[in-house]
Amino acid sequence: MTALPPPGAPPASDPVSEQYEHGRDILGVEHGLDAVDLVQLDEETMELNMGPQHPSTHGVLRLVLNLDGEVVRECRPDIGYLHTGFEKDFERHNYQQCIPYTDRMDYLAPLFNNLGFSLAVERLLGIDVPPRAQYLRVIMCELCRIASHLIWYGTSALDLGATTPFIYAWRDREKLLDINELVSGVRMHTSFIRVGGLLADVPDEFYGMVNEVVRTFPRLIDEHELLLTKNPIFRERTVGLGVISAEDAMNYGATGPMLRGSGVPYDLRKAHPYSSYDHFDFDVPIGRRGDVYDRYLVRMQEMRESVRIIEQALNNLPDGPVNTADRRVALPPRNELNTSMESLIYHFKLVTEGFRPPAGQVYEAVESPRGELGFYVVSDGSNRPYRCKVRAPAFSNLSTLPHMVRGELIADVVAVIGSIDILLGDVDR
Amino acid sequence: MGGGRAGDVLERELPGTVLRRETAYGEETVWIEREQLVAACTLLRDHRDAQFRVPLFVTAVDHPDREPEQPRFDMVYMLRSLQYNDVCRLIVQVTEDDPSVPTLETVYAGMDWHEREAFDLLGIRFAGHHQLKRILLPDDWEGHPLRKDYASFGEPVAFTHNLEWALPAQERPRDMPGETR
Repeated sequence: MTALPPPGAPPASDPVSEQYEHGRDILGVEHGLDAVDLVQLDEETMELNMGPQHPSTHGVLRLVLNLDGEVVRECRPDIGYLHTGFEKDFERHNYQQCIPYTDRMDYLAPLFNNLGFSLAVERLLGIDVPPRAQYLRVIMCELCRIASHLIWYGTSALDLGATTPFIYAWRDREKLLDINELVSGVRMHTSFIRVGGLLADVPDEFYGMVNEVVRTFPRLIDEHELLLTKNPIFRERTVGLGVISAEDAMNYGATGPMLRGSGVPYDLRKAHPYSSYDHFDFDVPIGRRGDVYDRYLVRMQEMRESVRIIEQALNNLPDGPVNTADRRVALPPRNELNTSMESLIYHFKLVTEGFRPPAGQVYEAVESPRGELGFYVVSDGSNRPYRCKVRAPAFSNLSTLPHMVRGELIADVVAVIGSIDILLGDVDR
Repeated sequence: MGGGRAGDVLERELPGTVLRRETAYGEETVWIEREQLVAACTLLRDHRDAQFRVPLFVTAVDHPDREPEQPRFDMVYMLRSLQYNDVCRLIVQVTEDDPSVPTLETVYAGMDWHEREAFDLLGIRFAGHHQLKRILLPDDWEGHPLRKDYASFGEPVAFTHNLEWALPAQERPRDMPGETR
């Protein structure tokens, strides 16, 4: 907090001040008020700048808060610090080359991005993916959902001052990242799900490691819940805070646990079962009040449901190939290249220029840990997407923030941000 | 997905709004009149047989080569109906000279940010929007990157065949390849 200058003082002109001036121009703050952190707007209201380097904004989110004492009168999120222009990059890469870009958008749940993009392109191409690949996609995605929810659990509890959950969450997430590393060689940006199937079949150690997760995680999630669910301090801070009604959540386009926490049982895995989700038996947990605590309960329950899905998928995992047999998309087996002219040509064409889906437009959505992650792909018949719009769940979810924090205390703003489970890579893309 | 619900409701309740309907890949796309956009979306949100109450996104697709026969921009609106488990895609075409559509933020609160994003990245004007300013890029950014005529790359790299194009005059070698030979 900087003291206000005496009225009428000339503005300083060193480079730092010039940056301040620029910041004020962007904010629309009146000149002559010299403080970037805290600006007196009138008798009653102060303007506070929170972030973008604030630890509890989960990345680089900046909030401009109008405060009356400690009460938030207005909140203006300022996003875009992590904007990378992925959608523009898609337009100059062929379809296979886009997959690593999708990883890097929602970097805590990269497999869902892979899956959404692959499903959209597969619809354009009209190809089917073998059952084994579909089951493995489900297993990897649900493991990823648990990993993402664990991060959310740890960080949002840390925002409220609880350090222990954070340490435990990262300890358990390691086991899931080890599985990522085993199947793809990479811990986070796996690019494991490809158009037409998977990067490769899983190695033999995979079954043991996933079985270990299925066996131990219900108990570990109990441990996590033990720390917070009935904790009086946690409940005091979260029950009745950041309430959003089902009607408002829909109107804002909020999806995922945000919508389900308000009592709307909508889950794309049930509504439009993609990748053979209809083969598995699982429940869609919902909340009642739509507050921070209910969203917490929904996510904790979702982790248990994910373990159930993984168990069923692993026990019924079919045999067979993990890539489509369609030679327009999948590389031919290596041994065919020595004997078959056509295979060699397909191989060469696929590697050098990629495949060409027919012209058209599709929208395909998956249920990511944050909500409805959609890919709207427009093809003009060439080997690159003509336009690819990513419908990021966290973008719409974050736009509910001003609605939820109006009238709350400033200390509760961080709790509400935590409960939205934003990821700035997903918001800004 | 896209069972033609939106097109049916619009044709029945707002005759003359629907310009064209097309179903491909199991999804229906409905082209509608720009002037009817707010009325159409309000109807789709509230009508008993539609209930498209969740706004998914709005964006634009740029087709610069289409002018002047057809408008340059396709404004794409995606809505979702939880009641009927359905999505609908509305397309409004706008020209390069007048890239504006009425805002939908009064119909769907969630359209606010998506419209700002379309303004930011594609330069579409949303008439009546309460705060139409850039959202992802800095306020002083020039141009709209997702337009096709905005080059995101193309920093000139000098090869022997393009030295004249790639390098300013003072940096070119005195004996340009090809000239002395």
